[in-house]
Amino acid sequence: MRLHPLTALTAACCAAVMTTAAGSWPLSVAVALAAVLLAARTGVAARVLLAAGVILAPLFLSLLVLHGLFFPEGHTVLAQWGPARVTAEGLGFALELASRTAACVLLLLLFSFTVSVPDLLTALAARRIPPQFSFVLAATLTLVPAMAERLEKIRQAQEARGLVVGRGLLSRLAAARLQAVPLVLGLVEDAGLRAQALDARGFGTTGPRTSYRQLQDPPAQRIFRATALLLAAAAVVLRLSTAWPAAVPT
Amino acid sequence: MACGGAYVTGDGRAQLGQPAEDGQPAAVTLPAAAARIRSFSFHGDAVEALRDVQLAVLPGTLTAVLGGSGSGKTTLGKLIAGWLRGGHSGVLRGSLALGADRLEFHGGSGDPRINPAAWSGRVGYVPQDAAAMLSSVRSTVAEELAFGLENRGVPRLEMIRQVARIAEQTGLSGLLERDPAELSGGELRRLAVACAAIADPEVLVLDEPLASLDADGASQLRTLVDRLLDAGTAVVLLSQTADALARSAGHWIVLNGGTVTAEGPPAELGNGAALRDAGVVAEGLPAGTPGDLPLAAASTPVLELRGIGFGYGSGETRGARSARGPAGVVPPVALLRDLDLTVRPGEIVAITGPNGTGKSTLLRHFNGLLRPQAGEVRVEGGGIDRIPTGRIAASVGMLFQQPRDQLFERTVLREVGFGLRRLAGAEAAAGRAQEALAAVGLSDAAQAHPAELPSSRQRLLALATVLARRPAVIALDEPTVGLDRHGLERLQHAIAAAAARGAGVVLVTHDLAYARANAQRILALDGGSLREI
Repeated sequence: MRLHPLTALTAACCAAVMTTAAGSWPLSVAVALAAVLLAARTGVAARVLLAAGVILAPLFLSLLVLHGLFFPEGHTVLAQWGPARVTAEGLGFALELASRTAACVLLLLLFSFTVSVPDLLTALAARRIPPQFSFVLAATLTLVPAMAERLEKIRQAQEARGLVVGRGLLSRLAAARLQAVPLVLGLVEDAGLRAQALDARGFGTTGPRTSYRQLQDPPAQRIFRATALLLAAAAVVLRLSTAWPAAVPT
Repeated sequence: MACGGAYVTGDGRAQLGQPAEDGQPAAVTLPAAAARIRSFSFHGDAVEALRDVQLAVLPGTLTAVLGGSGSGKTTLGKLIAGWLRGGHSGVLRGSLALGADRLEFHGGSGDPRINPAAWSGRVGYVPQDAAAMLSSVRSTVAEELAFGLENRGVPRLEMIRQVARIAEQTGLSGLLERDPAELSGGELRRLAVACAAIADPEVLVLDEPLASLDADGASQLRTLVDRLLDAGTAVVLLSQTADALARSAGHWIVLNGGTVTAEGPPAELGNGAALRDAGVVAEGLPAGTPGDLPLAAASTPVLELRGIGFGYGSGETRGARSARGPAGVVPPVALLRDLDLTVRPGEIVAITGPNGTGKSTLLRHFNGLLRPQAGEVRVEGGGIDRIPTGRIAASVGMLFQQPRDQLFERTVLREVGFGLRRLAGAEAAAGRAQEALAAVGLSDAAQAHPAELPSSRQRLLALATVLARRPAVIALDEPTVGLDRHGLERLQHAIAAAAARGAGVVLVTHDLAYARANAQRILALDGGSLREI
């Protein structure tokens, strides 16, 4: 069965909210693993993991440094170098945060790499979301592949002019600078022309719009969305009512 | 016809359309559109892009606006179609009229403001880069066609009817479920025309509609233009070539330097001085002198391809995505099969064939951007297997279809000089750079920023970067596209000079007439291999 884009979006967001609310690292890890499994089944695992790595690696590193080494409440000291102490509590906290963030990031990446952009636009248009907003959203979701394709063309054109990209970091950085010039200039120029074309095709008008594409939204999926939203809300309320008093210092 | 107010946004300051004289319904002779442009200049530009240009087009007629690159054709077309607007994009003085509705512009804040969405319902414009016309967020041809109707709130059943009608008219009926990103160049151009024509405009402006189309694509587009004319649409053709389509126009307007230098019926203007001076390319391009060049048949080939086999999607992945050719379609079978090619010093070889047959793919084998799955490529007697493209580039210079991608420096001179010192030594480098710029007529622009040059001069600059390196093999991918007469002459001289110094030149073109006039040998890429024609 094909998922309505809002169903997929709701599922991803609610799962992220509930995982955050639960605040238990085994659950977070399980959710993250489930997201990776789903990504593998839909054939986007490589892209999801690559993007997640780019986002999460620096975050994990900073969590490790901040909480792993300098966790003020930690008292089970595992190792110590001057002011830096590795404590079990600190590591636990870092793991907690890291697994939770990883779960959320993986869920949202899974959604963005599997959603059909035209379906999402149709769904948003049907809910009277301003088309300009939807367009920016769609352009963002499709920007990375479009840019990658363009960069590849530029790289070829420049190599054909005798640009040898070495293996060293400096050589790569220099090449990246040379590639960025035509990339950015090209994107800006295209954006200008595309804006004129969109204007001419009535994109800027404010009146009512219709939709050529039609989306199936079976009742079962509507019920699922309502239930998921309710559960997520319940999870947040539960979390607040149990954790809040304890979290507020007295 | 609705009153002019519908096409103008803003408050009561706007001067609205005036009713036809005597309150009579629009007479048959009333132009579908008329422009009297005293002057137009872009914001921030001291120079006027257009001055003293008048144009009036009658329903069901074809009018050709001819001029070289930078003559102001596109600016004129976009002004008529509301893509460029007085006040919004620049300062316009003059008037624009659609049927009986007329707007006066004085270059002040009280000028009428055109609503582009409503205006485009009466005047459509199709840019030269057809892909720019598309919304880029619709997944099928049918949805792309419907995009403009959706924005106007047309009910769905009516949309389905109109999409079917325009698809029938533009020959897109069989492609409605295809992804627009996977259409061939000709199909994409027809889709762009259809996107403009679906609003049923009285006037349609087509900017270089035949550029880079092969014979099939061009003939389908001609059929489409004929249908639009029969349906009573006034068609304005912007072109720098006096080709068969332009010659079928009833009226020519020749633009040069932003103003009209000649106008009248094609028979009167013929191949006159005004056309020549404006840089308009006469069909049957001026013949080069390939026959006069010495042919060193006995010498060692500069380029040899032996038994080349190649297909996408079967092992070769490096660069494959972006090198799929203009159509962007990944062919299911091998593109090149057991292909042989030998190019000797001083030889000019043209490779022709319809769009999507693998001409660009073949060219990319010369410098290792693509590696053959079978066979061998030898440059100056040595195999290039395992040598990186950046090094092969010292022997093989390549000009791409999109010159902008090749340019990255701050000035034109630095661009040509890039990497020359390492190749030729500090003393020779400066001289070579100047020489290459002179060869393509860009000496006066040495300090300009490459991005600020018009696309035709960017192409010449990219050519200069190739020439300055004096490679043994020069490979040119559709070098004529977008060049006006002056540019073509520069290109011709540069190719002849390179061949005279002993370079082997391979040019890929869909334009058989150009190939005949400028190459010693013409090869057709057919069924994956080359045959002499």
